[in-house]
Amino acid sequence: MKLVSIGIFAALLSVSLAIAQNPPEVKLTVASAGPRAVESRTEQTLIRDYSAAWKSLADASETSSPALLNAYFTGGAKTTLSRELADQQKTSTHVRYLNQTHNLKAVFYSPEGDVMQLQDSAEYQMQIVSDEKVIHDEHVVVQYIVLMTPGADRWVVRQLQAVPAL
Amino acid sequence: MRRAWAVGLTSLLWLAQVCFAQEITPPQQVTAGNPLSIPTSGSGNATFYLFGPGSVLKQTAHLGQAIELRAEDLSAAGRYTAIVCGDTCHSASFFVTPSTVSALSFLAHPSRALVKQNDSISGVVFPFDKFQNLVTTPVTVNFQLTANKANLFSRSVPTRFGVVWFRSNSGNSAGLALLTASTNNISAQRALQLVASDPCNLRIKAQQTTKGILVETDPVHDCSGNIVPDGTMVTFTANSGAGRSTVDAPIKKGVARANLTPSGTTVISAASGVVMGNELRMDVKR
Repeated sequence: MKLVSIGIFAALLSVSLAIAQNPPEVKLTVASAGPRAVESRTEQTLIRDYSAAWKSLADASETSSPALLNAYFTGGAKTTLSRELADQQKTSTHVRYLNQTHNLKAVFYSPEGDVMQLQDSAEYQMQIVSDEKVIHDEHVVVQYIVLMTPGADRWVVRQLQAVPAL
Repeated sequence: MRRAWAVGLTSLLWLAQVCFAQEITPPQQVTAGNPLSIPTSGSGNATFYLFGPGSVLKQTAHLGQAIELRAEDLSAAGRYTAIVCGDTCHSASFFVTPSTVSALSFLAHPSRALVKQNDSISGVVFPFDKFQNLVTTPVTVNFQLTANKANLFSRSVPTRFGVVWFRSNSGNSAGLALLTASTNNISAQRALQLVASDPCNLRIKAQQTTKGILVETDPVHDCSGNIVPDGTMVTFTANSGAGRSTVDAPIKKGVARANLTPSGTTVISAASGVVMGNELRMDVKR
């Protein structure tokens, strides 16, 4: 009985530690963005929102809560990630995204300012957990192509697609 | 001595078997929507996991036999991690790349543009495959702007990392214009309204009525000969000995009208935007 309690406590602790991770670190360069120039306020908002998007993805994956994706993901990105989280729930597995660093580069900002394409060279520790046991632990460097669109008060991720190379 | 060698060799073989047990060797890249067979080595049962964007699998695998993945498990482009766990776990990663273009996401601006304006129309295209993956390999997109069956603009541009855009001048004629983006028999079309620009000149005429003076413009055109849109304001001004009065009137069907009530010798003029009309001098008797 005591062992079971300790086990549950340890599991809860690991979940809360994972959620309490530092927010993802995001660096953004906008020098090569065009045809529209990225305003400095937009730059700051993008950094804030992209970091929040990855934080919400990590939290949603850790707790198998697709609703956490709603605030910062939309369109194809949200559909794909929600499907992934539903599968994780079915298989009692989940992915942990730890110690995230994102080197973002804005490469396209539409003339009317309604969509931005970015390239993210992301680094993080990816742990895959099955039935509370870590079965895979890997430091990954992944290149993503990202589409973000402005919402009422934030930029949201519309497409998040890993590619072999940029 | 020979026995020691034999023991050593057996140990090495056993070690090699352990080391190479439950290996999985997926290809480095697969196209989205294709089934995949992943060879495994080793023997016995293991648990196979696949983690990718949009799908997670967990199933029993028979080591030594290939693991068959269905096309629908590999429809989302991105990085996949395949893991096989027996006594220990082994993993390999691979990429699923987008399939061929099956739809164009076409953002066109604005929906209403003035004629004869430089760089006033723009469009952005993102090519997607049938699984909603952004096609990142270069694709040539043809842009075309037509109005009144005339081709106003046409250009072919290759995508770069899954995006392409254009900018164009608006035409000279007001009316419906169609913007088309196409590639390999796939096209997307947007309609936009080209509207007349500001008035080019104003001519007014006036007649005395029982209520005062009815002033109206001739049909008002922009400098390309298009009737200016309804709602464009024309300001009529009457200067007489009694003072100055102005009336703003919107253009309806190309003409703006106003009733003025001056008395005595009156000079009537009209203006719209930066354009001034002719002046009329009338002697009004009431």
